[in-house]
Amino acid sequence: MSGISRRKFLAASMAGSAAATLSLTSGAFGAALLEGYPDGMGVLVDMTRCIGCRSCEAACNKEQQLPAPEMAFDDPAAFDYSYHAGQKRRTTEAAYTVVNRYEIQGEEQPVYRKIQCNHCNEPACLTSCFVNAYTKTKEGAVMFNDKVCVGCRTCMVACPFNIPAYSYSSAFNPVVKKCVFCHETRLKNGLPPACVEICPQEALTFGNRRDLIKIAHQRINDNPGRYVDHLYGEKELGGTSWMYLSSVPFEQLAFDTTLGREPIISNVKGFLGAVPMVLAIWPALFTGFHLLATKNKHGEGHQADHPIQEDDKQ
Amino acid sequence: MKAIISRGFKPIDSPSPENSARRWTLKEKLLLGMTPRQYFGQAVCNPFNWVLGLIFLIGIPLLIYRFAFGLGSVTHSSYDYPWGLLLGFGLFVMVPLSASGFLLGTAVNIFGRHDLHHIERLALLNGLLGYFFAVVFLIADLGQPWRLPYPMFVAFGTGAVLFLVAWHVSTYLSVQIAEVSEGFFEWMGWPQAVKFVKRITVGLTVSAIILSTLHQGALGALFTYAPGKLHPLWYAAEFQWIHFFCSSIAAGLCMVIVVSTIIKKTMAWRCDAGFLDNLDAQTLTLAKGACMALITYFAIKMLAVAHDNEWAYLATGWGLWFLFELAFGILVPLVIMSYGIRHKRAGIARLGAVATVLGIALNRLNCALIAFNWRLYQEVPHWAEVMLCVTIFAFYIVVYRAILYRLPILYSWKAKEAHAPEAVRERIPFGVSVRPSHHQVFRTRD
Amino acid sequence: MADLKRTKIALMFFLAVGVGSGAAALGMDLPETVLLNSLSRYYDGVSFDHALHEQVADCASCHHHTTGMPSQDPDCMRCHAGAAEMGVVACRDCHAAEPFSAGYLKAKKADTHRYHTDQLGLKGAYHQSCLGCHQAMGAPIGCLDCHQRNQAGDELFRAGALSSAGPAASR
Ligand code: SF4
Ligand code: SF4
Ligand code: SF4
Repeated sequence: MSGISRRKFLAASMAGSAAATLSLTSGAFGAALLEGYPDGMGVLVDMTRCIGCRSCEAACNKEQQLPAPEMAFDDPAAFDYSYHAGQKRRTTEAAYTVVNRYEIQGEEQPVYRKIQCNHCNEPACLTSCFVNAYTKTKEGAVMFNDKVCVGCRTCMVACPFNIPAYSYSSAFNPVVKKCVFCHETRLKNGLPPACVEICPQEALTFGNRRDLIKIAHQRINDNPGRYVDHLYGEKELGGTSWMYLSSVPFEQLAFDTTLGREPIISNVKGFLGAVPMVLAIWPALFTGFHLLATKNKHGEGHQADHPIQEDDKQ
Repeated sequence: MKAIISRGFKPIDSPSPENSARRWTLKEKLLLGMTPRQYFGQAVCNPFNWVLGLIFLIGIPLLIYRFAFGLGSVTHSSYDYPWGLLLGFGLFVMVPLSASGFLLGTAVNIFGRHDLHHIERLALLNGLLGYFFAVVFLIADLGQPWRLPYPMFVAFGTGAVLFLVAWHVSTYLSVQIAEVSEGFFEWMGWPQAVKFVKRITVGLTVSAIILSTLHQGALGALFTYAPGKLHPLWYAAEFQWIHFFCSSIAAGLCMVIVVSTIIKKTMAWRCDAGFLDNLDAQTLTLAKGACMALITYFAIKMLAVAHDNEWAYLATGWGLWFLFELAFGILVPLVIMSYGIRHKRAGIARLGAVATVLGIALNRLNCALIAFNWRLYQEVPHWAEVMLCVTIFAFYIVVYRAILYRLPILYSWKAKEAHAPEAVRERIPFGVSVRPSHHQVFRTRD
Repeated sequence: MADLKRTKIALMFFLAVGVGSGAAALGMDLPETVLLNSLSRYYDGVSFDHALHEQVADCASCHHHTTGMPSQDPDCMRCHAGAAEMGVVACRDCHAAEPFSAGYLKAKKADTHRYHTDQLGLKGAYHQSCLGCHQAMGAPIGCLDCHQRNQAGDELFRAGALSSAGPAASR
């Protein structure tokens, strides 16, 4: 091995470690795991109480200064609206929360389901964002910083609840729009969100998330037959700040019950874990290959230049 | 072009006109040694240019329209399908098809497979352009493209897969520019620069391997954020990135075969004998590599199905579609290419390569669009989005062709004075391709 | 709910119900109507016809055990079986008008011996009570059947004309 080859080896390793320093991933993804929020607030959505008045939608629209809806908030036709053959309304850039009606077979009354950002404990949107536009506040709100959003929309792909909506309508400053738990205007001042405050039925119970979990189980225990024995969001994907109680199986209300308890980021760890390995092993490995593969050719000219010959050898 | 060549025209392939001490001017080089009139004449005569012109006639205004009025004006503004065709095709298909650069770089510079060096530059260029245009597609798709440098300079989501993709693709682009610049410097007549690039080739290649392994895989890992959305048959938390990486090897190699086939059919005048004579053999070698990758890919795909015990899904409609992808995207190309390799029939291997490229493109489209949101509904892209994709792809072809016409990719630059004998000797043992000398050796042998 | 601090005197939100003769026998001062206007931001106050509702429901249907009538819920009877008429029977006495204010949540948390930790707020209490019964009895259940929405309410709902098409009732 000549001096030149050693120099090359070094050059290659340097290039490799340069690539390593470029990727801060290895140390960072562990920190993305969040260890609960003792002060985290939450909302318990009791769908057995909701009457589908959509006051919450109206209040949210006002609080967040969203554009006027296509249909008035007291227009029951909204419940019959569907797109792409049977999709019920979802959150959009102009509606951070939406209440949908589900006619359940065997039930006298329809069930209403309010959707909004669930303010996950380990938000997929947050962990997928490459400019760190999302933050989880100590009050539990998952906030979005539209000053840095590039518009890649990975958070929309990542959110298991299909919540973030992109303001496609804006040509020059399109950003992600979603429920922010009324953090700036209310939550951080000790006030409940606008939708909670207006709900006539108190279908939305606001409080410390830990207390809400107790209350929810108490409701299930105290009212045999009224609820299915499951608090959606207590464990799903590492837990969410907004949780749901239902009288009918959650699948029937289009809840995804296949999500499991692991946060979304757990699925990505397989890859993220491989990153430091590739960074550490590849430079040495391939430089080694290179030296092995070319060592014997020293001074022998280019016997490998003839492809047919080379192929025949194999 | 062929007509001009047949009349005895010889495109520029050396620093100075024959029997003359004068050097070609840049303008002459750009026009390949034709007069502007000649050049324009041949361009107009080419019917393919008419097609391109038509595409641009519609596409360019559409592109301006998109930037003036936002994404909402050219897409369905879907909240459920945040990634449409611009990314589904532009990023997820273009990037694996451009894996060729690092693959051939590795084969030639790391494993010393100098038998492949005639096609190495084409592979490097294919890589560079593919990535470059993947970024162009991305810019067309991003909500705020002017913020593209943000993950580099402004805000860092270091734990995100896309952060890794962003950094690695941008770093890799510069690596590729450096790799391809060798030919450019030769063409410009800057021997010092050529020498410098040669010196760092191995370093560049190794970093290319690292970056490529990671970001090709990372594109797959992006889908592991969406376990509930991507159909289980296409989703595999642990294997997703390996699927994407393995298939990118096959895709990259086969893309070089496809491109070289097109070149052979349409641009033979620009190739030198070394390129043309070796093409069949190199095609078979590449096909061999692609077959290995396809076999591995197929095995890991089955492993993923078995690991998550998803056999039951195979009996559904989605299962049939999955099997279709496996059959026509992996197995059929595999059989065709193996046959071609066995009987040393490059033409057949080429057929298999086309099938591989299509098959892997289908896989990416399945992941990004078709099998995505399988429990919701199917999104059919807006016609304008399709047109934008066609337009940007047409740009890709135009730039690709323009570079192939000029830079010494398919032919050797006959710049003897650029390579002092010592320099040549210094390089050879370490497997850095030194075109002119190889070329000469080759000529005398044949 | 004897454990609740009964410091506030609720006059505005009196929703006392008694069954005619029974209530008279208890010697209570029954209101003819009660003005409910905690939603006055978006709706005009509701003049609740207390006398009318005395004809159709037990005191305990709405007032639990506070009027001295036995509660209808056997679970409540565990503690409140012998309960006598209480000093205050208004909804507001127990159901907080702002159940989610930081202060209320804090006080509730500090009160570690509290049994009724999941107590409804005032608005929730009477809507659940009223709507639940209205639905069971086939009485009107639309928002605007009871409430007259004001200008601010129309603006909130982005509705020009008042619509009485109400949503389905509570469960
Ligand atoms: S519900 Fe979606 S948008 Fe909201 S915090 Fe969770 S992942 Fe993020
Ligand atoms: S918490 Fe605030 S932003 Fe979120 S749905 Fe309720 S009102 Fe809207
Ligand atoms: S305000 Fe309350 S009752 Fe009305 S729709 Fe919203 S959650 Fe349901």
